[in-house]
Amino acid sequence: MNTATEPAPAILSAPPPGDDAAWAARLAARDAAALREMIARHGAALHRVAYRMTGDAHEAEDIVQEAMLRLWDHAPAIAAKHPVGSQAAARLMLGGWLQRVATNLAIDRLRRARRLSGGEVPEEEDGAPLADEVIEAGERDNLARALVLALPERQRAAIVLTYYEELPNAEAAEAMDMNIKAFESLLHRARTALRQALTAQGDAP
Amino acid sequence: MSVNEQPSGGTGPIAPGSPLARVLDGYGAPDLPAGFADRVLAAAEARRPESLAPLPELRRPARTRRWRIGQRIAIGVASFGALATAAAATGLLEQLAIPVPSAKTVWASLTGSAPAAAAPEPVVAAAGPAPAPTPAPVTIEGPIDTPEELQETFRRVDQVRAGRREERRTIIDQRIKSEIERRRAAGLPVPTPEEEARLRAKIEQAVTAREQRADAAAAARRETLQRKVENGEALTREDVTGRKPVSPEARERFRGLRDLPPGERAKAWRDLTPEERRLIAEELRARRAARLPGQPAPAPAPVPPQDTPPPSE
Repeated sequence: MNTATEPAPAILSAPPPGDDAAWAARLAARDAAALREMIARHGAALHRVAYRMTGDAHEAEDIVQEAMLRLWDHAPAIAAKHPVGSQAAARLMLGGWLQRVATNLAIDRLRRARRLSGGEVPEEEDGAPLADEVIEAGERDNLARALVLALPERQRAAIVLTYYEELPNAEAAEAMDMNIKAFESLLHRARTALRQALTAQGDAP
Repeated sequence: MSVNEQPSGGTGPIAPGSPLARVLDGYGAPDLPAGFADRVLAAAEARRPESLAPLPELRRPARTRRWRIGQRIAIGVASFGALATAAAATGLLEQLAIPVPSAKTVWASLTGSAPAAAAPEPVVAAAGPAPAPTPAPVTIEGPIDTPEELQETFRRVDQVRAGRREERRTIIDQRIKSEIERRRAAGLPVPTPEEEARLRAKIEQAVTAREQRADAAAAARRETLQRKVENGEALTREDVTGRKPVSPEARERFRGLRDLPPGERAKAWRDLTPEERRLIAEELRARRAARLPGQPAPAPAPVPPQDTPPPSE
């Protein structure tokens, strides 16, 4: 769910059919104005996702920039696959494509950071009071941030996409390259972990 | 309805206004800094296509499902063929009584041009050298009325039978060798060492099976004889051998006829009186009936009733 200071996620509004194919064609033609338009349309949503995934504003900017540059690099291939006016063009969703790239980049960076730090982030839910540990570390801004950042990266992505970005399960699953059943199972585990963490704080959900 | 759209519950979606939702809503995200788009555009302008790293090679070449299935089938057929060839080469199929025709036989059956004469028939009709002398037959002096005498009789019978079996194998070996020599001298195809080994194994298998049947029949007959001796009965030679002794005169006549060449044998047979021919024929039939189990003896020459062939079989 978006905070009051944030604009509504424009990335979620369905663009007119074929519109993204036209934008892809302009990007393929190396139209800088088209890239600027893409940043204006999708940058904020990607930044929110990246920030809530990483908890670091600079890291989130890097992720958004990398996602946009990948769109710039792959625009010729995307445009070739989705020529304007074709049926494939009607199915092209640059916002979903960017969302998938940004989510994967965030997960990759989190995993890389975990490997470098040697820390262990359990993929499966465990009974430990997750929030206690991170709060006592004194490195979290508030309880919500601590709860979200204490989740394993994929559970964290599921919560960010469905709760904060209000994506339907199908679109969130597509952004994470998962089938819908597996994603719903992941989302179920993420919610359970959040509730248990909050219960451990002494406040029933 | 997906999980996200399920009504609020313990494991369902996070309901707006719930304590967890109020906590989560406190996790705000900052806006993108001013000038972010310019930085991205500058970075995009700096990226040249030639500076991009090429995509890595696929780990495995993309293959269609049809080709994958075909590949598996081909591997399976090749594996089966290799195993079958190995089994045929090592003679395993022969041990399992699975006939393995040679390539020559298969080609002859396909073309119908040449007879499949790779494997020679057992040389039963081949003229071989004179057989080795048969060991002396068992002689029984007087009636056999004690178990010791019966066991001694069995021992002597077994001794004679073992000698006959060895003699039969020697004859078979000589006939095989002579037939191969005859075919080689006549320019006919001769079996390879592998084919000869298979032929010998097949003959040995048949001989062994015949001996096992004879042993089983002899064992059953010996049980009957032992019970009779234990009951106080005295056994005669006919009881042990299962047939009447051949008279010395008849034996001489048989031997004389047997040793004649075929043409003279027929002439000598015609020179006999009808009475002599009838007596010889009856004796031959009685001997043949006594040797063949399950066949009734001819009426003119009654044979002692028996359920099993004589031990000499």
